[in-house]
Amino acid sequence: MDCGNFQILISAFLDGELDAVTREQVSLHMGGCEECHGVYEDLNAIVGFCDESFSEEALPPNSQALWCRINNIIETEVAPELEEERAAEAVPGRIAAMWHSSFKLSPMQLVSAVVGVALISSLLTVVAFKNFVAEPDPVTGAEGQPSVFDKVMADLGLGESPRQRNERRIREQETAIGYWKTRVDLRRSQWNAETRDVFDRNLIEIDKAVNEYTNLLRANPQDTISNEMLDSALKEKMELLREFSEL
Amino acid sequence: MNWKSKKSVFPAKSFGLTSILLTGMIAAILSFTAPEVLAQKKFSKTYPATKNIRLQLTNRTGTITVQGWNRNEVEIIAYLERPAANISPQNLSGKIVIDVVRDNQGRNEVGDANFTVNVPYSSDVDIETRIGNLSVTNIQGGIVLAHITSEGDVTLTNISASYVSAKNLIGDIFYDGVIKPEGTYRFVSTRGSINLRIPLESSFRLSATAASTRNIALGSFFSAGLQVVGTGRRVIGKVGNGSASITVTNQRGTISFIRR
Repeated sequence: MDCGNFQILISAFLDGELDAVTREQVSLHMGGCEECHGVYEDLNAIVGFCDESFSEEALPPNSQALWCRINNIIETEVAPELEEERAAEAVPGRIAAMWHSSFKLSPMQLVSAVVGVALISSLLTVVAFKNFVAEPDPVTGAEGQPSVFDKVMADLGLGESPRQRNERRIREQETAIGYWKTRVDLRRSQWNAETRDVFDRNLIEIDKAVNEYTNLLRANPQDTISNEMLDSALKEKMELLREFSEL
Repeated sequence: MNWKSKKSVFPAKSFGLTSILLTGMIAAILSFTAPEVLAQKKFSKTYPATKNIRLQLTNRTGTITVQGWNRNEVEIIAYLERPAANISPQNLSGKIVIDVVRDNQGRNEVGDANFTVNVPYSSDVDIETRIGNLSVTNIQGGIVLAHITSEGDVTLTNISASYVSAKNLIGDIFYDGVIKPEGTYRFVSTRGSINLRIPLESSFRLSATAASTRNIALGSFFSAGLQVVGTGRRVIGKVGNGSASITVTNQRGTISFIRR
């Protein structure tokens, strides 16, 4: 037996799974090979340690006492919750009593109230629907003004204001532009002088448009036309960079 | 707009008398020969085609001229400046595809490829180039797309298609054709002039934006159905029953409508 075979068989040897002949061969090799004997000792120590640990964890010192303690903990935590639930169930009863005692409406008042509520809710629905589903311009596909819903959400701090939305979109586009610019910088040295000139000239022209509309939007973030133009200019810039990065 | 600048290729050197005479003779011979012919390589191929074939051509640099003709075949002729571009047209089912960008990817220097393509009148045409002029004439197919990534002029003449899109960054766009009912027409430029020559009886929904110059000349097409918005930067509305849709956007240039 050589060291390679020993290493294959050592695990089975420790588990007592080898037949007598092989077991004998392993023992013989171990006796003559200091290195393999060391391996055996290390593995044996590990297996022994694991056996001891598992046997300790598998059987707690007093399992019955442990279950008693767990039961006590559960009961002390669950009992107050049950009481709270019972108390909560009693509340609607009190509200109903208050309702019956304080709000006694005549049939006429009741009908008026119902009609009023219906009228207000339908008006609100119409306004909200009209604003909420304000479709983009059918010709340009451009977004319209923000809806009342959007404005309310923005005022409550739950949505984005037009300025925030513009800034976020511009940030996203600039990230993409940064990526393509890196790609262009890698390719640029391979272009001929004419291609470089054309690229630079066109990039300058787009940047002029970007600056113009950025300034207009700073002055008036609600300016939809400048918003669209800026969006379009940034897209053009990205497309120019992307398509020249392929050259 | 001339997107291309020419350069001198002869360096200055001192010559002896013989050299001067020889050079003079060569120069005389060369002067009678078109310099383009010497510098160019010709590529030519013809494919049989059905009437509604689609031409899809993507060029790196150079011009593309597409003309409709009364034959059921597609003829591609390209003059390739040195170092000549690789061109491998593919004849797929109902589609001729030429992609000079893809076929030359990774090459450091590639010369201009100037295409002239003849296609059946009723073909769909989808052409684009990174730099250079595009021209499409006599096409009555369903689609005409002509996009320039950077600079060059787009000239579309005698077009009758339901979907037309022309785009460039620096350069002029000229459209001369009909506006079909339910058709869609888009013209987009950053700097240059966009001129549309269409029949007076055309009916369409319009959104024309010249945000920087505010120069939108509607001429005979101005009607009560149109309104100027955004302090003169945009004109929107309907002309006639407005069944087609025309969108014109010029970031820093002008827009004009001309009666055809």
